[in-house]
Amino acid sequence: MLCNECQELISEYIDGAVELGEQVKVERHLADCEPCRAVRDDLLQIVHFSHQLPEHAPATALWPRIREGVAELQPRFWSRWWGGLRTLNFNLSVPQLVAGAAALVIVISIGIIVTQRDSPASVDSGVQQTNLVPLSNVDVQQLEKQISKLSQSVEERKTSWDPELRTAFERNLYYIDQSLAECRHQLKDNPADDVSQELMLNAYREKVRLLEGFEKF
Amino acid sequence: MVWRRKTTKYLMRPVISTLLFLAVLAISANSSARFERTYSPRGPAHLSISNVNGSIHVVGWDRRTILARADASPSITIEDQALGDDITIWTRRNLSLGHANFEVSVPPETSLAIKNVIGKIELQNITGHVSVNSFDSDVHLVGIDSPSVDVRVTSGDIFFDGLLHEGGSYNLQSMRGDLDVSLPSASPFNLNARALSENINLGSFLSNLTGSSRGPKGVSGTYLRGGPRLTLTAYAGRILLHKK
Repeated sequence: MLCNECQELISEYIDGAVELGEQVKVERHLADCEPCRAVRDDLLQIVHFSHQLPEHAPATALWPRIREGVAELQPRFWSRWWGGLRTLNFNLSVPQLVAGAAALVIVISIGIIVTQRDSPASVDSGVQQTNLVPLSNVDVQQLEKQISKLSQSVEERKTSWDPELRTAFERNLYYIDQSLAECRHQLKDNPADDVSQELMLNAYREKVRLLEGFEKF
Repeated sequence: MVWRRKTTKYLMRPVISTLLFLAVLAISANSSARFERTYSPRGPAHLSISNVNGSIHVVGWDRRTILARADASPSITIEDQALGDDITIWTRRNLSLGHANFEVSVPPETSLAIKNVIGKIELQNITGHVSVNSFDSDVHLVGIDSPSVDVRVTSGDIFFDGLLHEGGSYNLQSMRGDLDVSLPSASPFNLNARALSENINLGSFLSNLTGSSRGPKGVSGTYLRGGPRLTLTAYAGRILLHKK
């Protein structure tokens, strides 16, 4: 899966609305792609904060007023814009046209360069961003090593599994990874949050338990 | 004409035999294998059941024997070993996942270690130690009066209705499911509840929780005089504590 494909699905993935096969593809991609993980964490942050926002019901009279305002504004805006355009004098000399075209080319080139630099396609070229949550804890590092080793072993065996067993494994792995992502996100907001630290360590242990449990199959 | 009739008769026999053989084969392929064992431990036994796919129901009864029964797919082999009072039952499977559903009756003081991958787990009227380790299971513990309970599931609800022992340890954890705990109102305990979902409902226990730290994701404190350690951990699920 490419970065743009992953990021197209990431919002639905967070909502738990993607199909299992796609979940697995997204998970695999996220496991190897730091920038996409950053996008996922940003979206999780937005979801998290939006849940904390108080709900305000608009006044009943508000919508008719908005509708009326939009209806009044639209013709005026377009007529003013079109009128302004028509009054412009487009009598330009050849050097002026060449300079204008050159400026346009420069602006477009800069735009393309900036977009390409920021786009996830550069991920595959090996650019690595710094980790959002510094996992300096020795326990976590050891658990991550153990997980990486176990994951490799499980991946090799998985092809020979019964489809039902494979589905159960992938579903449960997805749940754990979702919890880990949520813990990371909460720790990003508040690195001193003891409960999130504890829950994250515990989720890592749970992932080890899952992988060890399925490694024997 | 006679020759023709004879030929037809001789040809029909193997055809009918083959059809009968195939029918028997099809019936046996669909049928399930049965496992039944009775163990007679001399003291409180330790029973381990390790299953992959299927339900496990263990109930405490008033006899001194352990009766284990299971229905399993033909692809599943159930094996057992009894070394003194340690009894181990486990399933082996070929490439197909199959299933094995266990119904076990035990003396109440039997210690249980249950492992499963997929399938509901129900334990009733047990007073021995309880350990449940599963991935995709709802776990129901009813009438439990054990000195220690440790339940870990990745996805599934955990329901506990029982008593806590002085100095006992009770850990319930689910990554994707609710923890629903019913305790007598006079049961003291030290609580450590953690829910990543920030959904912890301690009901009327909350008002008598002393020395507590309360946050959206975690509540800890002492109920009445304390004693048993009750640790509840949920991620994408709720923690609910009720008074019986």
